[in-house]
Amino acid sequence: MRQVQQGDMHAYQEIVQRYQKKVYRVISTYIHNREDALEVLQDTFLKVYTARSTWESRFSFAGWLYRIAINASIDRFRRTDRGRTASLEDVMESQIHQSATVGASADPLGKLRGQERRRLLENAVRRLPQRQREVVSLRFFAEMKLEEVAAALDCPLGTVKSNLHKAVIGLKEMMLKQKGVLDYEQL
Amino acid sequence: MSNCEAIRELLVFHSEGVLAPENIRQVEEHLVSCAACREESEQIGRIRGWLKDPGLFEPEHDMAWDLLPEKLAGRVASLPSRRWNLTSLGLSRWARAVAAVAVLAGGLIWMMRLHAPRPPAGQVAQAGSGNAAFLDRVRTVYTREATVQYLDGCHALLLDLARAERKCDRNHFDVSLEIARARQLLQQKRMIDAAPNVPNLEQARSLCDDLERFLVNLSTSRECETGDALQLMERSIERGQLLLRIHVVSSDIS
Repeated sequence: MRQVQQGDMHAYQEIVQRYQKKVYRVISTYIHNREDALEVLQDTFLKVYTARSTWESRFSFAGWLYRIAINASIDRFRRTDRGRTASLEDVMESQIHQSATVGASADPLGKLRGQERRRLLENAVRRLPQRQREVVSLRFFAEMKLEEVAAALDCPLGTVKSNLHKAVIGLKEMMLKQKGVLDYEQL
Repeated sequence: MSNCEAIRELLVFHSEGVLAPENIRQVEEHLVSCAACREESEQIGRIRGWLKDPGLFEPEHDMAWDLLPEKLAGRVASLPSRRWNLTSLGLSRWARAVAAVAVLAGGLIWMMRLHAPRPPAGQVAQAGSGNAAFLDRVRTVYTREATVQYLDGCHALLLDLARAERKCDRNHFDVSLEIARARQLLQQKRMIDAAPNVPNLEQARSLCDDLERFLVNLSTSRECETGDALQLMERSIERGQLLLRIHVVSSDIS
């Protein structure tokens, strides 16, 4: 990041390459629409460059980056996605995509079950309260340690642990309610 | 709190591997003897396993991930520079004209002072203050003129943006010209910022700053934007009442 601060575009491209998919996953916990999520992803990395002088080496770069991504996602969510659920078009598109990929699988039923479970869990994660969702997305999708999550969210480690506990229990409860859908898979 | 409740409070941390050794022992001993807590522990472990699934919130495979770094680097390179210098400014005609007037006025004053008969000592200070007042008036005129030009440019741009009809494809609109104009206006704004404060222009300054924020967003847009993105921009214009405010402030200055 120090090289980026000096205007090194190769270093900047390396950062984008390294983090783009993880950041996209974190953003996707807020933004359902793929086009919007991609726009927020690009805005995040543009902000990383334009605000590069504000990053200090004593802070974790990943924490700073994900903070930008989360703020951009919340901002976009407030402006466009508030209360919006998956449109029929999105669902149909997702189903078409799924059936297209399932057809080529060696275990089509298993793959379909996996996709259904992911879809339910993704929806459950999106329904978590904001702080819990932040902790879950940074812990599991950004693959950060709990201490790093605490630093990124600028809150005590105990708060992170407490939110993680509530989030996992909440997700378990939400998934249990879907047991009818998940009857082929033991929860 | 019953023993089971106390143990269940620890199960998430147990599966995270962040428990102290004495708590680990306590949990594991309990799980051996309690089927209900064991089931709870297994469910939590399964949820954690699913959350670690790389397929969750997985980006689409068809996305051109390899191209994104280069694309972003290109966009970053085209961002307007924060520092301004004379070579990068690309001064427009009006700015050059105003600058030339200022230089000529300065030169004229200097010539007049050089060749004028020396006044008595008591009158020197008065003449000096007269020149300063004249330069102040030049600066004021320049700043007002520059502000009006900037507001006019913004006004025309906002209207054109709302009328964007050039299509890149079925779902995207070509706003490349608007982006270029936004960048030019941002350069004008830097000139205004560099000018000294002028009385009675506070309202205009605030509006210019609001417009600058809009222009920064527009200048970092994609050349082919979705209809949704354009609608967002229009909503932002409406929310800030930018067109109305430009009209009012421009009339006040005039």
